[in-house]
Amino acid sequence: MLWYIGKRLIQGLITVWFIATATFFAMHNVPGDPLLNERATTPTIRANLEAKYGLDQPVTTQYFIYLKNIVRGDFGISFAQENRQVNDIIREHFPVSAILGVLAVIIAAVGGILWGSLTALYRNRLPDYLIMFLVILGISVPSFVIAAISQLGIVTLNNLAGTTVLPVAGWGTIFHMLVPALVLGLSTMAYLTRLMRSSMLEIVNSDFVRTAKSKGVPPARIFARHQLRNAVLPVITVLGPSIAAITTGGFVVEIVFAIPGLGRFFVEAVQQLDYTVIMGTTVFYGTFLVFMVILVDVIYGFIDPRVRMS
Amino acid sequence: MTGVMTSPQTNPALLEVRDLAVEFATYGGTVQAVRGVSFSVEKGKTLAIVGESGCGKSVTVQSLMGLIPMPPGRITAGSARLNGVEVLGRNVINGKDIRGSQIGMIFQDPMTSLNPTMRIGDQIAEPLQVHRGYSHKRAFSEAINLLSLSKIPEAAKRARQYPFEFSGGMLQRAMIAMAIACKPSILIADEPTTALDVTIQAQILDLLQDLQAETGMAIVLITHDLGVVARVADEVAVMYAGKIVEQGSVDDIFYRSAHPYTLGLKLAMPTNDPDKQHKLNPIDGSPPDLFAPPPGCGYCQRCPFSMKICDSRPPENFEVAAQHFSRCWLHHPQARISPAAPSIPRELYVGERA
Amino acid sequence: MTGIAAAEFARQASTEHAQTLSRPSLSYWQDAWIRLQSNRRALVSLFIVISLLILTLLGPVLWSVNPAAQDLDQISVPPGRDRSALVVAEYTPWVIPAGTVAELQLADTATTQSVRLQWAALPGAYGHRVYRNLYPVGPERAYGIPLGEFFDNSTLNFEDRLDLRPGTYYYSVVALAENGRPGTVAETLRVDVRRTTTVNEAVAQGLVGSAADIAVGDSLQVALHPLGTDYLGRDMLARLMEGARVSLFIGIIAPFIYVLMGVVYGAVSGFAGGKVDQVMMRFADFVVALPFLLFMILFKIAFGIGPGESGIFPMLIAMIVLLWPATARLVRGQILQIREQGYVEASKLLGAKSSYLIFRHMLPNTLGVVLVTLTFEIPRAIFTEAFLSFIGMGVAPPTPSWGSMSNEGIKTMLNTPHELIFPALLISITVLAFNLLGDGLRDALDARMRNTE
Repeated sequence: MLWYIGKRLIQGLITVWFIATATFFAMHNVPGDPLLNERATTPTIRANLEAKYGLDQPVTTQYFIYLKNIVRGDFGISFAQENRQVNDIIREHFPVSAILGVLAVIIAAVGGILWGSLTALYRNRLPDYLIMFLVILGISVPSFVIAAISQLGIVTLNNLAGTTVLPVAGWGTIFHMLVPALVLGLSTMAYLTRLMRSSMLEIVNSDFVRTAKSKGVPPARIFARHQLRNAVLPVITVLGPSIAAITTGGFVVEIVFAIPGLGRFFVEAVQQLDYTVIMGTTVFYGTFLVFMVILVDVIYGFIDPRVRMS
Repeated sequence: MTGVMTSPQTNPALLEVRDLAVEFATYGGTVQAVRGVSFSVEKGKTLAIVGESGCGKSVTVQSLMGLIPMPPGRITAGSARLNGVEVLGRNVINGKDIRGSQIGMIFQDPMTSLNPTMRIGDQIAEPLQVHRGYSHKRAFSEAINLLSLSKIPEAAKRARQYPFEFSGGMLQRAMIAMAIACKPSILIADEPTTALDVTIQAQILDLLQDLQAETGMAIVLITHDLGVVARVADEVAVMYAGKIVEQGSVDDIFYRSAHPYTLGLKLAMPTNDPDKQHKLNPIDGSPPDLFAPPPGCGYCQRCPFSMKICDSRPPENFEVAAQHFSRCWLHHPQARISPAAPSIPRELYVGERA
Repeated sequence: MTGIAAAEFARQASTEHAQTLSRPSLSYWQDAWIRLQSNRRALVSLFIVISLLILTLLGPVLWSVNPAAQDLDQISVPPGRDRSALVVAEYTPWVIPAGTVAELQLADTATTQSVRLQWAALPGAYGHRVYRNLYPVGPERAYGIPLGEFFDNSTLNFEDRLDLRPGTYYYSVVALAENGRPGTVAETLRVDVRRTTTVNEAVAQGLVGSAADIAVGDSLQVALHPLGTDYLGRDMLARLMEGARVSLFIGIIAPFIYVLMGVVYGAVSGFAGGKVDQVMMRFADFVVALPFLLFMILFKIAFGIGPGESGIFPMLIAMIVLLWPATARLVRGQILQIREQGYVEASKLLGAKSSYLIFRHMLPNTLGVVLVTLTFEIPRAIFTEAFLSFIGMGVAPPTPSWGSMSNEGIKTMLNTPHELIFPALLISITVLAFNLLGDGLRDALDARMRNTE
């Protein structure tokens, strides 16, 4: 098992290197001088920056300086917000996005497994139709529309109740997190529900469930020990990439709900052409996602013994 | 003179099935998979149900066990009595599920028939926990005993392993251990050896016979392999197109075959005789479409002895000899005496090759 | 047993129908087509998809309104509103009538040209401030937008020409205290503003043939906008159709290309096997690891396109470059599986060449999977484009796309929901149709992947 984890970690590091390199070369192709935009920089600052980033040196040298900086964890200074280290920006705002993302993933996973199982067990009956209808809405209505409508819903709710039942925007308490996390996790939950449903349907008709029935095992126990455990495997496989989708999809939710997360700052940086922030955030996010996927794979290994042994 | 096999001298039948009929509603129409099947099994004996793929033998036993999903499937007629108690359509009698406790079952493909994420020992322990209320510890140690009873070496170590670490033959043994855990009075084996090598087949069949000798349980063995039948069966029922076309003792079926289909099966068996050289004699054609079952005998399209009546009326079950039945018009008294009727050559009857 | 005729037991003629098949056999594609037809949802989706495509291509022919043209008479008008307009003379500056009035009132008919108010000085007022609101003023005294203020009582009139729309406004005049701050004394007037147009405008907009056809005082119908207009007065239907072209172009072309790339890459990798396969797949895995959205945005910037500028081709290229690995993986997996199948080996033993194996056996068997993947990638691409346009990193105004139209619509969601509903609905329906079609195709084509519904 340890060998498996070790192998994955090494693969992860190589992937991170790849991401950093791709980011560097993508940004390096931006026409024009990154420093020479509307921002007026004094000659001394400019000279310092040039020295630090090696902007007057050939590409390969710049690349190695870049890599060296990254390994040291130094993503540089934000162009747009002077005197603010990119690291600080990440450090301050990433936890917000992370909490939001984790909450959304939990909601999506629990919901997906729950609804998916229900639709499979009550196939072609009312719960099935109801849930599948909601699933269809969840996968076809764009997330920004859902976000906007849910905000509207909160406003209406507050009006009806006369007080602020739920905050409309912002961040701070658990109440601020509930609706945004729900909205963020919604489309993933819909997708997981479908996945769980088809996985469960396959399992429900499988040979070993038939064997369990032939042993006289009661339905509840069959569900818990035979069906659920096996049906959940594909869902977990997909969970890794889903986390990726959720974290990046967080942009919209963060913008609509005015949540000070890294995604929102990333979008702002893009709009302001703040290159260091863009690059730093990209590499950071990329690294984070790579290791999240590894984590999920390891967890999967614990659940499915076949992966462990091979 | 239709009849169901009973042996008044020996014990009353443990399991008695009468006129079972099962059909399936599919997107192409309704398939009548089982069209009136009757048989009985006695304690300590082995009944083999033989037939080619699609004849309905699996559906028959699976519907007894309540394993046919009932939305597409439907039991339209029949009864099944276990020790005199009606169990068709109801598996829970007096709050207890008879499956696993009074009837055990093993399946064709052991690789897919066991939960891949559960240890073997746990799976064998499960019926003990469910039916006898054993604690996990007690059930698990009993499971280890059962594994050694099934001739699996290093049972304690094996019980902690997962199905993918076992070979096919060993998995089948584990399944047998699981099925007999609560000492059921009947074991249903649905093609238990089809997916295994010939040598492993022999071992599994021996195991089944040993267990039967020790516990006196009855065995219903589904197979399409006449060799298996010859080896272990006491009584045989031959199925074709959803009906039992011949049933009797194993000697009756082999040496005194009374139905053209049974004859065809025997003649189709490849020979092992080094002295003789034969061409294979397959039965031409294929079974009838059960979406629209023929009005007469299901076999008549492929039968070399068919008569006019065979096309139009389904044959009745004639008692050819004591406890030996054949569902064929050839055994109608009028057929016996009619000069225009075909007759089966003597040699074919007595097990010699044509 | 009833008596049976002896003749019944005569031997039957030979079994000539032993070998007939009871039902005709179907080819793989015929079977799939029959299955698809029996799936009603998939058929409906197929119909919707085809209708969309036809509408996109033919639509502008049938409804040839210029999507960029602004109809300033009808801004943010939902569909179905009254389209009548009064023809008035060209605007002339207001000659303030002499004399005083008793209370806040209209000096002239209120039209979209101007609203002219007069009032009497409010008790205790050192000046007045004029407000305008869309809603009636309630006890919380939200007066709306301040339009003007006067710090003495000599000016008791006001002409409003600010962005007047046909409808109802609530004007308020609030008394100012000595320090210039508004007090509590106020007067409110409800004003219904009529839509007007002038003869020249009517001719310019093509509502009438020439100036001779119409005179002041007549009533005519302004341009029809079946789905209403947006915040700049542009016809929604025309914009939606052009947006369809943009969204569907990206949504269909990009997946086609990158799925094709994936198929070629995966087939080569799978067929080659061994080290080549390993290396190729390693590379594909790296590309997959790149965080998609981030790199989409990065690509756009790298192409030198800033935020707020439209970048359809960079978006296309970015999608192609980033999304081909998934299909490549899938196809490679399929090829590997097929290679192991008995019929491939049998074919090889019969002497088949590699090219024959690939084209006759392997590729047709992957076609099902590829088709299904394609049908699912299209909605994904449409979503991605909508999403990027929404955050301003995709297609930017004035080029319409459903995503950017939704973005604009959300801003006025409460007042004019139709600006959001139509593009969002279209995105949803399109995505849904493709998804359901993909489901249907999967159920029809691949027993293993079936949804088993």
